[in-house]
Amino acid sequence: MIYILASMTSNLNQLVNHVQRSLVMVHNGRFGVGTGIFWRLGGYILTNQHVLGRKKRLRVTLNDGREVAARLVERAPAIDLALLQVELPDTPAALIADSRVAKVGQIVLAVGHPWGQRGVVTAGIISGLGNATTHRKGEKIPIIRSDVTLAPGNSGGPLVNAAGGVIGINTMIVGGDLGVAIPSHVAEDFVRDALGERVGVVV
Amino acid sequence: MLEFQFLFKLLSGICKIRPERQIIILLFLEELLMSNNPLFELSEAMVAAVTKAGASTVTVDARRRIPASGIAYAPDLILTASHVVERDDDISVTLPEGSKLAARLAGRDPGSDLALLRLETNAVTAQPAPGEASVGQLVLALGRPGTDGIQASLGVISAIGGPVHTGRGGLLESYMRTDAIPYPGFSGGPLVDAAGQVLGINTSGLAHGASLAIPVSLAWQVAETLAKHGRVRRGYLGIRSQPVEIPAAQQKVLGREQASGLLIISVEKRSPAENGGLLVGDIIVAIEEHLVADPDELFAALVGEAVGVPTPIEVLRGGQPQKLTVTIGERK
Repeated sequence: MIYILASMTSNLNQLVNHVQRSLVMVHNGRFGVGTGIFWRLGGYILTNQHVLGRKKRLRVTLNDGREVAARLVERAPAIDLALLQVELPDTPAALIADSRVAKVGQIVLAVGHPWGQRGVVTAGIISGLGNATTHRKGEKIPIIRSDVTLAPGNSGGPLVNAAGGVIGINTMIVGGDLGVAIPSHVAEDFVRDALGERVGVVV
Repeated sequence: MLEFQFLFKLLSGICKIRPERQIIILLFLEELLMSNNPLFELSEAMVAAVTKAGASTVTVDARRRIPASGIAYAPDLILTASHVVERDDDISVTLPEGSKLAARLAGRDPGSDLALLRLETNAVTAQPAPGEASVGQLVLALGRPGTDGIQASLGVISAIGGPVHTGRGGLLESYMRTDAIPYPGFSGGPLVDAAGQVLGINTSGLAHGASLAIPVSLAWQVAETLAKHGRVRRGYLGIRSQPVEIPAAQQKVLGREQASGLLIISVEKRSPAENGGLLVGDIIVAIEEHLVADPDELFAALVGEAVGVPTPIEVLRGGQPQKLTVTIGERK
């Protein structure tokens, strides 16, 4: 029994280290900091739109400590997502999991920079899968609820499953509840649209 | 273990590979990361637990605010929290598969904050966990407060306490506290173990809004009584009392070692106690063969079965033991 706990802890540790490599801190003077994640190769970073405010250029700090300039590629205020890009070779992209097969009860980790503290990890499970109505247009969007503790600064950070795959982007788009994330398949659709890649119907 | 570490090393290297090849490798790696990973196994086990217990967790709509939750005690009986059943009629239950059915109140026990609903259906009955819960045990709190499906939060059993008076004339022999988040509408839903077996019923209606769980053994016992009689009867004497020390000399007269008893400090008019001849100043030392040393023990002896039954009560009066017979009344 003790062995299982020890090996789980070790796995957790490796998983967290892996995710933290792809993590960035997004600076916005007025709005403080948020979290972002290298979603794919080419220096593409996904974060929350509200972290940016109206800025189109801002600074991000990588996990290795480098601070670089990032430009806005596309934003989707309705789902509170924004795609940024940094001009750097070999940025460590995260492993993206398919959130369409996410289930209530699965272990999840939130990694981010709550209150500006770097790379903080909180753990929990998926509490519920459902829809939320957005503040702005009253649109219904799918969301993942989790019981992980989030704080300002976690916004835009990844929600990761037990295999280290990102299944959602933590956000504060729908107030009140703790721990709401935009599912990775919604985020991936946004990224594909932003990069003009979406062809045909995704089945 | 090594394998897991190795996989992440591979993952770290992957960003140097051409994008179109990456996808295939990533999919392959994800598969590997799921196998041989105790964390993922635990994750899947919890999904299974949620699925299993979730099949017995229903929506209970019987109040003005958001609906609450309930658990199938029997195919046609739903156990829920009494405080979420604000009205006695126009109660509806939504089953996991989505059908909404009218339900009748079969009975309630505000003392343990439990209510039983009857409806015509064939619900999947919940499985109670065998044995006692222990502190540190992994638990899931489940609820189905809306149409978005089952909801769950994870935690451990933080404390097991009791007995405690609930302020509604009830005495919980034991209760559980957990650090699993009680989301709105979780009252009446189950607290389950890692195998999806029910450990208790969650409620925030017993301790001034604080969330606790009623152990399943007690909850099932109450449900059985409610199914049969529609209410839980509790005995009533009509006295106020406080524990006092029994001096050694009087213990000798009693013929046993009993360090304390209950001093009667008031007797209500026309109460079972007055009718049975109990007086202010008497020290109750035993009811039937149960020794009584504090008010909780007296409370525990006044069970529903005792109502209406002439019961021998032993007191110390003027230092001398005396046996009286009191017919226990019913607490209203």
